[in-house]
Amino acid sequence: MSAVLDRLGSPSLWRGVVAVAAVALIAYPVLYDDLFYQNMIILSLVFAIGAVGLNVIMGYGGYISLGQSAFIGLGAYTVGIATTKIGGDPFVWVPAAGVVAALFAALLGLIAMRTRGFAFVIITIAALFILQIVAINWDSLTNGTSGITPPLPRWDLDYQNWPFYYSLVVLLAASLALSWWIRRTKIGTGLLAIREDEDKAATIGIDTPVYKIIGFVASAVFLGMAGGIYGYYLAFIDPQGMFDIVISVQIILAVILGGRGTLWGPVLGAFLIESVNEYSNQELGGGNSRLLIFGGLLVLTILLLPKGIIPSVRDALERRARRGKAALVGARLADRRPLNGKPRVAPAQPPRTLLEVKGLEKSFQGVRAVAGGSFEVEEGTITGLIGPNGSGKTTVFNLIGGTMKPDAGEVWFDGRRIDRLSPWRRAYAGIGRTFQITRVFGGMTVLENVVAPLRSFSLAQLRAGAVSGEESARAERLLEFVGMAEYGDQPAQALSFGQRKLVELAQLMMLGPKLILLDEPAGGINPTLVARMADVIRELNEQGQTFLIVEHNMPLVLGLCDPILVLARGECICTGAPAEIQRDPRVLDAYLGEDFKLEEPVAAP
Amino acid sequence: MTEMLKLSGVIAGYGAGDVLQGVDLRVGHGSVTCVVGPNGAGKSTVLRAVSGLLRPREGAIEFEGQDICGNPPAQILGLGVSQVPQADGLFGNLTVRENVLMGGYILRRDRGLVARRLAEVSELFPIVAERGDVRAGNLSGGQRRSVEFARVLMLDPGLVLLDEPSAGLDPKALKIVAETIKRMADAGKTLLIVEQNVRFGLRLATRGVVMESGRVLMHDDADAVLSNPEMTDLFFGGTPTTAPRHAAAGA
Repeated sequence: MSAVLDRLGSPSLWRGVVAVAAVALIAYPVLYDDLFYQNMIILSLVFAIGAVGLNVIMGYGGYISLGQSAFIGLGAYTVGIATTKIGGDPFVWVPAAGVVAALFAALLGLIAMRTRGFAFVIITIAALFILQIVAINWDSLTNGTSGITPPLPRWDLDYQNWPFYYSLVVLLAASLALSWWIRRTKIGTGLLAIREDEDKAATIGIDTPVYKIIGFVASAVFLGMAGGIYGYYLAFIDPQGMFDIVISVQIILAVILGGRGTLWGPVLGAFLIESVNEYSNQELGGGNSRLLIFGGLLVLTILLLPKGIIPSVRDALERRARRGKAALVGARLADRRPLNGKPRVAPAQPPRTLLEVKGLEKSFQGVRAVAGGSFEVEEGTITGLIGPNGSGKTTVFNLIGGTMKPDAGEVWFDGRRIDRLSPWRRAYAGIGRTFQITRVFGGMTVLENVVAPLRSFSLAQLRAGAVSGEESARAERLLEFVGMAEYGDQPAQALSFGQRKLVELAQLMMLGPKLILLDEPAGGINPTLVARMADVIRELNEQGQTFLIVEHNMPLVLGLCDPILVLARGECICTGAPAEIQRDPRVLDAYLGEDFKLEEPVAAP
Repeated sequence: MTEMLKLSGVIAGYGAGDVLQGVDLRVGHGSVTCVVGPNGAGKSTVLRAVSGLLRPREGAIEFEGQDICGNPPAQILGLGVSQVPQADGLFGNLTVRENVLMGGYILRRDRGLVARRLAEVSELFPIVAERGDVRAGNLSGGQRRSVEFARVLMLDPGLVLLDEPSAGLDPKALKIVAETIKRMADAGKTLLIVEQNVRFGLRLATRGVVMESGRVLMHDDADAVLSNPEMTDLFFGGTPTTAPRHAAAGA
């Protein structure tokens, strides 16, 4: 038994299973002429194409669409209308069905993807119902509730349903190829980042609406084509049957049951769902019993297998394989290899203002978090930003990085006004930040986290592999730099709080920004590592890197930063060199406390 | 000093293998024990194993002589072990008072007791009374920490587990938290603290524990740990200190 379980962990076994299943699927109609099972497989294939597509936007991107059957309907109507009004073989019009579905997805995406979270689900349902109403009422085009009857197949009866069957097999293969490819490109990493933390994704240069629209279009195109074939196969295209929300729900269920975010899970889920479908139709009289079964199945899946079948099995096997073995556990620091790069030859002169904040204001529910804050950060400095808890430091970071919009005031960066730009445009402009409470993408590996940032947006780049050799080499060097080299292929959610901070720092350095905003980089970090981080910051600074650092670790701030800005009650109360700040009565009063006494500075130069 | 908590040969992990690789640890009644060590060494995992959030694969955990290893968190909480989590554990959309009352959830049938505890806690943490109706999400980091402590004290626990109490606090708030921890210790609470701000933590503590790679490397009086040159070199940074503790936690 144990030996059998051990074998289950081998990837070659699973490749074999997939190959056998594919061969069986292809050979079935040739070997058996049972039309009942052929029909079942054809319906399963339509579900599978829908589920594999939906998985792109729902499994990778985290956005649930309840309107996927709209694409089946659009595809079916495109083929039906084109063959009856224009003529030709219905199969000729199948690619057009894909185009129509894709265009509609893009249009809907433009509207829906500007929003976040639940709004998307609502908009997709609304779109489904609107299309159904249009199909019912546009009599001249759709023949209303009477529906469209496409021409009957003209091929030899001996071939049974083969053309439908095999064209759907081809479409499923194409859907799987698209899903596999997306997962391996920047689009896939971007969608995953959006699923894990959309705000954070935007700050590392991911143009979130574009990614979501691409994901949505990818979820629609093959389903539209499959819808065209499905309508032709059923030989009857009507608004109720084609724009059916139950089909949408079944597609979602297939993705959840098989495993969100996996390649094969949606296919497995779809074949299971269709089997349940047929069983309830045959044995229980269909109709409401079917809905009851699907409701129950959804509840059971979420209770027993919240991740779906494939991820649950994979996790169980992995746990079994790792049982009794030691995990990677934090130990003392290894010696550090020096950073590549040369010290900057001559300092930029005259000193140039890289970041300028003027009269920034932001209130939350009437509480003024930032009240007219104004300050500058000069190029080539390590500027410190200190102030009591609640003085607005993190809000200032959010306003500079674009995660929040100011109520008033201006932010200028590198000679441009940026306070109206989206977070990703600010990232392209050269602003990078870390978060006080770490926000790594838990479902991605450490290495994927580090290579996720994008320095610019281009369509060509989307096609690039998620982890190119050069990028991966650079990422590994950065990970080594922060002492996390061994953790590259660990899921980020397995890391401790402090380790996540280090991964975020590496991620940020990957972005290579002109200005790095660090929000409490030393919080939760072991002191020896804090000293190393100070070395790293100093070294990068010598190469010309500008920093703005929020930090409460006074030895670190006073040993590293010059000048230091002091924020209190949302205003900048004073600026100066470390020595001045330590003695300033306003700072002692507001922040340090009267009896402040400095311990030794961290890693003084 | 009698033993309150005893861990023997605890092995535990999160599915990707064992993080704790045989941890032995003793916490005496009325002591303040501070665990330090590199990031990811298993410090927070020790707390999770004690509070029942993580079920150890092997080993024994005894609290007041009773085996609690692998017991459900609610039961361990009922015995008097409360944890203040690392990072933000408050419900941002609830008010400060609601958050604090949440800490007394298992007492909810005894309204008199809940009201009494709320009054006691408000005395120790004035913010609970002053900003009781403010959404916790609108508080600053230091204020949140105070509310988190207040919430945990609602159960009047015997053993309090603190995961990085200093994280994210400004110097003045740090002083307040140090005083609060000292006050809790003076009130007879036994504290088990995990801290990256090594000097801050060890000066508050009576006993110090250094962890590395899922094991206990050193277990001694806090002063001895703090002044140990090897530990300083490997994990604390700077030079060894023998500075007097700024909070003598009634040893």
